[in-house]
Amino acid sequence: MKAVHLLAAKPWIWSWLAAAVVWTATVAVTGGAGAFGLTQAALTFAAFSVIVGTGQMFVITLGPGNIDLSVPATMTLAGTVALKLMNVDNGMIAPGLVVALAIGIAVGVGNYGLIKLLRIPPIIATLAMSFIVQSAAIWTNRGLRIKPPSLLAEFTTSSTFAIPNMAIVALLVAVIAWVLLEKSLYGRWILAIGQSMAAARMAGIPVDGTRFATYVLCAVLAALCGYLLACFSGGAALNMGAEYLLMSIAVVVIGGTSVAGGDSNVPGIWGASLFLFLVVSMLNTYGLGAGFRLIMTGLIIIGVIVVASGRRARQP
Amino acid sequence: MNIREILLASAAALCVGLPVSASADTSDKTIALSNNYAGNSWRQAMLTSWNKVTGQAVADGVVAAADAFTTAENQVTEQAAQIQNMILQGYDAIVLNAASPEGLNGAVKEACDAGIVVVSFDGIVTEPCAWRIAVDFHEMGRSQIEYLAGRLPDGGNLLEIRGLAGVFVDDEISGGIHAGVEEHPQFEIVGSVHGDWAQDVAQKAVAGILPSLPKIDAVVTQGGDGYGAAQAFAATDREMPIIIMGNRHDELTWWKEQKDANGYETMSVSIAPGVSTLAFWVAQQILDGKEVPKDLTVPFLRIDQDNLEEGLANTEPGGVANIEYSQEDALEVIQAAM
Repeated sequence: MKAVHLLAAKPWIWSWLAAAVVWTATVAVTGGAGAFGLTQAALTFAAFSVIVGTGQMFVITLGPGNIDLSVPATMTLAGTVALKLMNVDNGMIAPGLVVALAIGIAVGVGNYGLIKLLRIPPIIATLAMSFIVQSAAIWTNRGLRIKPPSLLAEFTTSSTFAIPNMAIVALLVAVIAWVLLEKSLYGRWILAIGQSMAAARMAGIPVDGTRFATYVLCAVLAALCGYLLACFSGGAALNMGAEYLLMSIAVVVIGGTSVAGGDSNVPGIWGASLFLFLVVSMLNTYGLGAGFRLIMTGLIIIGVIVVASGRRARQP
Repeated sequence: MNIREILLASAAALCVGLPVSASADTSDKTIALSNNYAGNSWRQAMLTSWNKVTGQAVADGVVAAADAFTTAENQVTEQAAQIQNMILQGYDAIVLNAASPEGLNGAVKEACDAGIVVVSFDGIVTEPCAWRIAVDFHEMGRSQIEYLAGRLPDGGNLLEIRGLAGVFVDDEISGGIHAGVEEHPQFEIVGSVHGDWAQDVAQKAVAGILPSLPKIDAVVTQGGDGYGAAQAFAATDREMPIIIMGNRHDELTWWKEQKDANGYETMSVSIAPGVSTLAFWVAQQILDGKEVPKDLTVPFLRIDQDNLEEGLANTEPGGVANIEYSQEDALEVIQAAM
């Protein structure tokens, strides 16, 4: 009984419950067949949302107004440039990854530079940055689709012990993020900044350094995701990140992280990512019309958020 | 022959060599391209074709200028402002790929009132004073089922990949596909997903619905999504269905690989991005004083099993199978609409 109580107090439990319900409803249609295929697909595609969502979570934790809208553009630029550099050569996999991550660092530095030096609000600064980055992607790539090196394509699309490799990578990212958030000094700092920046400053926390590191971390994770997604889907496309702008924010919110900042959790990102993929699969499986599908997706998401935040009549 | 004579002779030869159609009547005219979006490979190819063909036309003195402008955010208001700027800059004709069929009508009307010829293509506008070079998307959908009826006389299960929900093009192509299925009732659409014309989105959507579906015999698509569907099928142990392609380089390359490996057969249909150059020549013809009907239709670019290699050769890596139109092609399209 106590365990149930403890679990119910966890903000992330609701996204996992929702994912489980939707999974059951989808599998029920086929009478159990396809359960394995659906689980594998869900783990694979949720992995990408987890990677970008984790970065976005750290940024949102910093408190009201902190958000990174340059995520899709960073993914696109990292994917296109890395694939162009690797040019189907297995020997270039490591340099490709390094370049992708370097692009992430550069975008992150640029983002925080705009926010801090020019005193532009994050929402505007990162949006402006995303125009620059997206244009750079168009300029370097011109719609060129180069196939990923064969080893990398093989790695991203296959499984180890029936678990998709992408899910393993995302799990690693999530574990590192969990340690950072819950066990490290850095995690304490961003939580403190999110709860009250003024108080954090008074307490001697290096506010600027922490925020800077967080924006860089978010962009690096987006770049990593772009690199992996481009390899997974057989080449980078100019519009490949578009879906992940709303996705990265939605998984954070549905996962039970407070939009007001200062209260985050990592497991919820996994639950929310699985849930968002499964909802679309479920509605597709039921064969509902597009309009109805979109309305249902919206309603279900609102429902989960309302239930998840209901417990937030929390103690002060 | 002295130098002078050689020069004269060369000049004369050049004059003879010039195409007769490059009449001087439009040589002082300026044409602008107003484009609402550049963020995918189709639009990139469209702009490249425009630059290539109009650049040559300007060099040949057919028109004085043909500048391309693209809005940053695919917004109606932004494109309306762009058109108003073009009116102020005094262009003689505006070739328009519109962000909305109705939203730009005000700006288009202003341009017409200022005596500017407006030719819309691909994304057309409904304002009556403008010309429209429209794609028969309904027929594009129907022709897929017709092809499949030839390949699979006994019919079978279809998976439909749609485009972006709520967009006119998606409704039209899907309407055509459903009309085709009504004509050929041996086919049944057992599943439908939205792939947003993007390879990765299609891959994700198909991977999500496949576990719940029976055997799929063919996949009907809208272009840009065929390779994603193939990837999703390849990840399972299902038999590869007939996937209709949409002329993208990745789709054609994959088809070619399969054709060489196991004789895989399908067809591919889409609109060549070079349709921007068709619109350019139509605008030039209107400026030249030719009577042109207000509604024209863009020809399809279809690739079949036997001309796959040729189609692939005409496709830039990462782009869409393309042809650039000439002035003669434009005259033919105009003639067909008369």
